[in-house]
Amino acid sequence: MGKVEGKTSVPGVAAVPLGGAAARASRRRLLDRESFLGPVMILPAVLYVLALVGVPFGLSLYLAVSDAKIASTGLGHFVGLANFTSVLRSPTFLRALANTFVFTLVSQVLVLVLAKILATCLTKRFYGKSIVRFLILLPWVAPISLGTIGWKWMLDSLYSPVNWVLQALHIIPASSWPMWFGVRELAMASVIGVHVWRLLPFATVIILAGLTSIPKEVEEASAVDGAGFWSREFHIVLPLLRPILTVAGLFGIIFAFTDMTVIYVLTRGGPADGTQVLSSLAFFTGILGGDLAGGAAISLFLFPMLLIVAVVMLRIARRAEVA
Amino acid sequence: MGSSQLSRRTFLKGAGVAATVAAGPTVFVRASRAQGKTLKIAQWTHFVPAFDDWFDKKFTKEWGEKNGVHVTVDHISVNDLRARAAAEVGARKGHDLFGFLDPPPAYEDQVLSMNDVVSELEKKFGKPINLVQRATYNPRTKNYFALSDNWVPDPLHYRIDWWGEVGVKPDTWDHVREGARKIKEKLGHPAGFGISQELDTNMMLRGLLWGFGAHEQDESSTKVTINSKGTVDAIKLMTAIYKESMTNEVFTWDPSGNNRFFVSGKGSIIQNAISAIRTAEKQNPELAKKMGLAPPAAGPKTRMGSEHLLHCYVVWKFAENPDLAKKFIMDLVASYNDAFLASEFYNFPSFPKSVTDLRGKLAADKFNPQAYLILADAEKWSAYPGYPGHTTAAIDEVFNTFVIPNMFARVAKGEQSAEDSAKQAEAEMQRIFAKWGK
Repeated sequence: MGKVEGKTSVPGVAAVPLGGAAARASRRRLLDRESFLGPVMILPAVLYVLALVGVPFGLSLYLAVSDAKIASTGLGHFVGLANFTSVLRSPTFLRALANTFVFTLVSQVLVLVLAKILATCLTKRFYGKSIVRFLILLPWVAPISLGTIGWKWMLDSLYSPVNWVLQALHIIPASSWPMWFGVRELAMASVIGVHVWRLLPFATVIILAGLTSIPKEVEEASAVDGAGFWSREFHIVLPLLRPILTVAGLFGIIFAFTDMTVIYVLTRGGPADGTQVLSSLAFFTGILGGDLAGGAAISLFLFPMLLIVAVVMLRIARRAEVA
Repeated sequence: MGSSQLSRRTFLKGAGVAATVAAGPTVFVRASRAQGKTLKIAQWTHFVPAFDDWFDKKFTKEWGEKNGVHVTVDHISVNDLRARAAAEVGARKGHDLFGFLDPPPAYEDQVLSMNDVVSELEKKFGKPINLVQRATYNPRTKNYFALSDNWVPDPLHYRIDWWGEVGVKPDTWDHVREGARKIKEKLGHPAGFGISQELDTNMMLRGLLWGFGAHEQDESSTKVTINSKGTVDAIKLMTAIYKESMTNEVFTWDPSGNNRFFVSGKGSIIQNAISAIRTAEKQNPELAKKMGLAPPAAGPKTRMGSEHLLHCYVVWKFAENPDLAKKFIMDLVASYNDAFLASEFYNFPSFPKSVTDLRGKLAADKFNPQAYLILADAEKWSAYPGYPGHTTAAIDEVFNTFVIPNMFARVAKGEQSAEDSAKQAEAEMQRIFAKWGK
């Protein structure tokens, strides 16, 4: 906007005198222009992302190559890749790296399979469907820490109701009392199970949206052609759902890869680091242990995987946009 | 088009008004709060609730009235203390007094020196006990980075009836192994020494190591000494106790795990602060009568246990009322006769002369004087993380990343030999020591 003595010139708009009413009219026009209002409205989101994602990420990049400690007065000194070589020498780190992949991949396979089954059920009409839908959504809307503390008691070593039920149903013998967090395999199964319980509603809702978007004619045509349930699932529904399954899977991978609440509350990485993952190890090292730089270096090992996932997601989003 | 223009403007104006209205109360509250001084304290939620009652409702109230200060106390669960401290340091804002449950040398750069407080208290009550001095003093900077008002002994809790039945007293670690095995075989009750990634395990296993003449570091606090014959022998003994008389439960515990195990009436022996037996006295007095306390079991070299907790206050450099905070600590230490009784003997005084006739008070316990009397000598058999050196920032990281519990757990789980596990712990500790320098 160029300013001329006593007048305001707007490109493409005739100059008007600057009286009170004229100024108000000018401001009004400014707020009505998409080219002005668009960036202004998006600015808070951009600032939000920069402040809460960009700055911390930049800071963690710097911390990872510094010697910063939890109570350092400054940002520490530059030490190059020393923190990375140090963590790579740690067997605990290598175990956490392997555990992270196991935790993420197994939980995501389970989430997608179970979410597909649930979503398929929810497309059918049955009595009490709204209550079932509410119950399925509950784990997602409840605070994750509260839900996980609930599971901690459900799987408690002394008073586990899960064990009581299993015994009552004769699934396990009366003499048996599984220590869910005391055996490496059971502990990993427990944290994966709770994580699946937590993520299932999200994936179900996404897949349900995908299922409802499949045209009824396609299913009807396949039925006319004599396709059975499995044939229809594998040759029609799943191929059509592939983009949305990919999105659900990629979101799930990000949630699983970066989550530490479930593990921190249930096992604190035990037994003997059996469920330690990169995010929990970064927390123990950086926050509880005081080695901020070491913790930042550990957490940055998450970055390559997350970058790949982000790139794939953006490409899917772009393809959808083009379509 | 006209209506859309109007709604946009209305929305923007409305948003502005809403933001102003929302900000209003905040501004008002801040202004009203600024009128009087408030001392803000953060500390753990005590395992003996009666202590928090005394501290929150009596001591801080009376102290606040006497000094014209409003005192607020935020209780934080034991597992969240460190994360909260890190958040306060990160934000450079928080409480005036922050109570840790183990010495926090890693925070030395962010806390005020307590040398003046210690020297004032020494004039009144004499020196603090040795373990407190070694754990909260940095000889390199000649600085008390924290002020400990109390520490907590870590005796054995055992079932007098069952141990009597098998005719063994848990006096040495060999006795513990023998008695625990016999009780498991004869009565079916397991022993409960935690091998988990948590505070109590960290403490108990250090005591076991010292009993075998093994240490994390040397006296100068610069050399890692964990890979020793003593360590290997200690690991082998704990593995044997696990295999003969414990269950996988010991890998699952958090700091309250062994308490619940023992108070449930299931366990034959644990090593813990007296909160376990105190809980039983309240919840199941008949069971409590069958419980006894004993000093930590002796190893082949010595009888030693770790302090269970070492409560120490720091005053952040960014605290708003540092002088008030220091005065509060001095007055708290001066009131330790009351604090000791309010904690039901859980909090032992860091300045021993701040409690008069401690032995007499223990002997006068209304529930089980004989049991508690053994605590009178607790200082003699108690040490601290980093013993025989000082508690340094490197030891702090070793402690909080559970290097020692995992060293024992790998062998008990059959994943490694005792020798290999000690070697791995040594490498891990050397890596940590290298990061923190000397």
